Amino acid sequence: MEASEILKQFNDVWELRHEYAKDWKQRTGGKVVGYFCTYAPEEVLYAADILPIRILGAHETPNLASPHIFDMWCPFCRDCLNQGLQGKYDGYLDGIMETNSCLHARQAFGAWVIHVPTPWNYWFVMPNAVRSPRAKSFLRGELADFKKAIEEWTGKTITDQDLDKGIDIMNTNRRLMKQVYEFRKQDNPPITGTEAMTMVWASQLMDKREHNELLKQLIEALPDRKLDRDTGVRLMIIGSENDDRPFMEMVEDVLKGTFVTDDHCTGSRYFWDEVVPEKDRLQAIANRYLDRVPCPNKDWGMEDCSKKRFPHILQLARDYGVQGAILVQQKFCDPHELDIPSLRRYLEDNGIPCYFLEFEVTVPVGQFRIRVEAFLEQIEAEELFA
Amino acid sequence: MAKYEAKRLDCWGKAKELRAKYYQDYKEAHDRGALRWEGGAWTFDAIPQALEGEVHGLTEEPYGASVGANPEVQVRYQEAAEGKWGCANDLCAYLRNYWGSIILNEFVFGGEWPKADFIFQNHICCSHAKWLQVAAEIEGGDVPFFCFDVGVGAYDKIAERQINFVVEQLYDGIDFLEKATGRKLDDEKLIQNVKNTYDSSCYWAKTCMLNQAIPAPLDEKTMFSLYVLGTLEKSNKDVANFYKNELYPEVKDRVANKIAAVGDEQCRMLGDSQPPWAFLSVYRYLEQYGVVSVANLYTFSLIGWWKIDEQGNMVPYPTLEEQGITIKDRDHALRLLTEGELKGKLMWAPFYGANYKNDLVTKIAKQWKCDAAILHLNRGCEGTAQHQMEMKIALQNMGMPAMTFEGNMADERQFDEPRTKRLIDLFITETLGLKKVAG
Amino acid sequence: MIVAGIDVGGKNVHTVIVSDGNIIAKAEGPTGIKKAEAAEQFYNEALKQAGLKREDVERVVATGSGGKRATFADGYIADAAADARGVIRLVPSARTIIDVGGEEGRAIKISAEGKVLDFAVNEKCAAGTGTFVDTMARALEVPVEEMAKMSLQSTRSIPMNAQCAVFGESEVVSLIHQKITKHDIARAVHDAIAGRIGSVARIVGLENDLVMIGGVAKNVGFMDSLKRELGMNVVTPDDPDYVGALGAAIAASAGVLEEEVKAKVVEKETIEEGK
Repeated sequence: MEASEILKQFNDVWELRHEYAKDWKQRTGGKVVGYFCTYAPEEVLYAADILPIRILGAHETPNLASPHIFDMWCPFCRDCLNQGLQGKYDGYLDGIMETNSCLHARQAFGAWVIHVPTPWNYWFVMPNAVRSPRAKSFLRGELADFKKAIEEWTGKTITDQDLDKGIDIMNTNRRLMKQVYEFRKQDNPPITGTEAMTMVWASQLMDKREHNELLKQLIEALPDRKLDRDTGVRLMIIGSENDDRPFMEMVEDVLKGTFVTDDHCTGSRYFWDEVVPEKDRLQAIANRYLDRVPCPNKDWGMEDCSKKRFPHILQLARDYGVQGAILVQQKFCDPHELDIPSLRRYLEDNGIPCYFLEFEVTVPVGQFRIRVEAFLEQIEAEELFA
Repeated sequence: MAKYEAKRLDCWGKAKELRAKYYQDYKEAHDRGALRWEGGAWTFDAIPQALEGEVHGLTEEPYGASVGANPEVQVRYQEAAEGKWGCANDLCAYLRNYWGSIILNEFVFGGEWPKADFIFQNHICCSHAKWLQVAAEIEGGDVPFFCFDVGVGAYDKIAERQINFVVEQLYDGIDFLEKATGRKLDDEKLIQNVKNTYDSSCYWAKTCMLNQAIPAPLDEKTMFSLYVLGTLEKSNKDVANFYKNELYPEVKDRVANKIAAVGDEQCRMLGDSQPPWAFLSVYRYLEQYGVVSVANLYTFSLIGWWKIDEQGNMVPYPTLEEQGITIKDRDHALRLLTEGELKGKLMWAPFYGANYKNDLVTKIAKQWKCDAAILHLNRGCEGTAQHQMEMKIALQNMGMPAMTFEGNMADERQFDEPRTKRLIDLFITETLGLKKVAG
Repeated sequence: MIVAGIDVGGKNVHTVIVSDGNIIAKAEGPTGIKKAEAAEQFYNEALKQAGLKREDVERVVATGSGGKRATFADGYIADAAADARGVIRLVPSARTIIDVGGEEGRAIKISAEGKVLDFAVNEKCAAGTGTFVDTMARALEVPVEEMAKMSLQSTRSIPMNAQCAVFGESEVVSLIHQKITKHDIARAVHDAIAGRIGSVARIVGLENDLVMIGGVAKNVGFMDSLKRELGMNVVTPDDPDYVGALGAAIAASAGVLEEEVKAKVVEKETIEEGK
């Protein structure tokens, strides 16, 4: 299959996510569990033959959410709840889970449990002190409880072999997506940022085994793909969750820029780190979630004010030849708002100019175009006079 | 003539004195060779306060609230945080007050910003750890920083694993303290501090429990000035003594003699979250209608410890004496402290879902015999304002009239006083049908 | 018995003179910054229209965000309470009211007797108010009435943000640059406001009959969007922007209560030119 056809399939899953999940259920007879946050231990869900799917918004104003979540909280979380209240997940979503994520997602989950008819729900206590060595045994214990709860729900024991299967599915997916990302290091990447992002979004919305097959074909097809476009300024997108396709298309199709890499919640931060196998499978999974690139509200240490995520972002920027970073923050997103002033300083001190944009469920693409265009011109001028 | 006798608390002056001393001690600490530390109202202050020698802490939220009570200063500090540091204006208002204070090198109680020797913080919401992490960065990045995680699950899910996780972190915290300060932790001090913490936390809850009486001996506006001591240093002997031996007996006496907070009590109100600190006049406004704010999960359990008894009622957590426990050693002290906080601080339950909050506030509404609810949709604190819309539905489903108004506990730019008064007028006169009381 | 009601809104003043339950005169005009003067002016106009003098009117009750500035009034009633009294008189089956004026959008749940049971307000935000409509019309460079009619000619739905008026205006400009037709943008604007108001209304619960009042009820584009948004029939009385004033007049005829007289504000207008 050609790369473009494969990428179209990713796009179709993203656009028709409910149809995909319903079809999956019919084909396999399996259960589907929704999650709000990238700390959900999908390995355990796959071990139980459950399809984990990320609850994402639909970029619609969340008109049904106002009675349930105050309007001045995160629009993305309210959009997610709105989808549930609209009944988009009725009839196929068997379970919903939350993982000690940001307070707004917790509220979306809290309201979902009361008002959306999803039969099963679970609160997974992901620790915040991810850098504390004490978190390892705590999280292992939490995973053991989670595994037991799933076994009780499904009526089926999860063995070590099942966990190996779950770990393998997740790790393979991570590894293959990273391989696709490698292509973006090229001077003229054969895959745009929009296409790469769609690939990651599809990973969160479909059976990763099917996603893996498509990824393998994509990796074979990409070396022969030549895009008829000018790479322009090499950009990195950093921030909260982002599936704002019109914005990315605007930057890449209309302006002279390419998103060559990213660090955000629906992007690389979701998949960057693998589980390192160990005899104790649950400990191995725990270690992965503790050691991964952290979400801002878990990015704090035990001795000083350093952040683990910042050097990782800078390294990505170096490895991918990034010339500028666009900081994308969902309106009212506390975790990222706490980091952004420091992150800007850090990146700019290290020679990566930044531009900040605040997002809502719909964005003024026209106005953003003017601003991003000016940012790109600024970078090009700097390069000219460097 | 008013229905009930009303008078000011006798111990009111003592509370003010203790608070003033706390901030004075922090300011002057270095002059006396004492240590200074920054942390949160929920930090287990029993631990850093157990270091050898003299130690004084500054808890971030009460400091932010103190700034918030002064609109002119608060705007200046927040504009410094937003303009000079570059943070968003919808971040926790206390936090912006705090950062602004550091940026401007001002201490709201006078003088320059008193830099700390170390940071000892705990984390449960999105902001706590990051607040002081960034504060340390703004100050130059050379203040040693330690934070421990208490987000281990709701009060009814606390078992050995959860307690062990926190206790192990506390041991790491003690290692950190000793390394950062060159001082040793004194176990006797620790044990006494934990006893004091139990007394402060349990006796505040017992005092709140007394507000079930009709007439209510305390109104929320008064209670704000009383719980604050527990947010400053609940492990302090004078604070514990205040709660156990001064406030609680006095309030018990008020109940026995039907001394009211509001002499013309005719409507008992349930609140939620912090109030807009610069506009506490709204409580006095409500009193004109005989409305007394008697209950609020936030006011009760920000420092108070509670439990749910066999009948499903919210009751004070038992003190160490009531449990027949004598603390043996360091490990015992840390475990008891952790258990009390994790099981008793019901304010942490809403972090695990709307059902917890709904359960607790409906219990409070019934037990404290509330007639209606006025809920402050507090843009300034996502932690205490979680699930408020669901809470409104839950209260209305039990037949209680409930209204909401938007505001911010410590950012007066996000509070519309005239509009809020109009909404409250409407609720009080129309929905509740109350008339102004005489006097 | 002749009574009067004055609704001093953020944008406009509406006054009615009511005789034995019937409106015999009405007047309206911009509030401006001198609310007390505006209230006087339009009260006098209504009196003139009715051929009456002040002493002919037994009681005057004011309402609205600037109602307490009408110092000549005998009393004041909260605006949502005025809405409730006015609506229940005109539509006895009403149980939910939506009132969108220049500055505030609100939803009110009422009992069969017209008592306010619950309310929700679009607080501290221009989105979802008449001001938002005006701002978007300016961005489209058409009068508000024309924008309303244009939106009825569109069959396309474009999602647009109405959480924030500033974002909203940016989006309209974006859509213009994307060469979206003005008809489609007009519909997007009305759909966005209807979405916002619908959100506020859902907080109090939508129970039939749903009645829409306030100046924005005269906007045919918005009303079309609102009916589609809520999936319900929406009743709009004649002169929907006068309902608050009518409600105040009904309160006047019911007897102004002792407390309301005592609550009369005696503040003087202190705003000076240019300050």
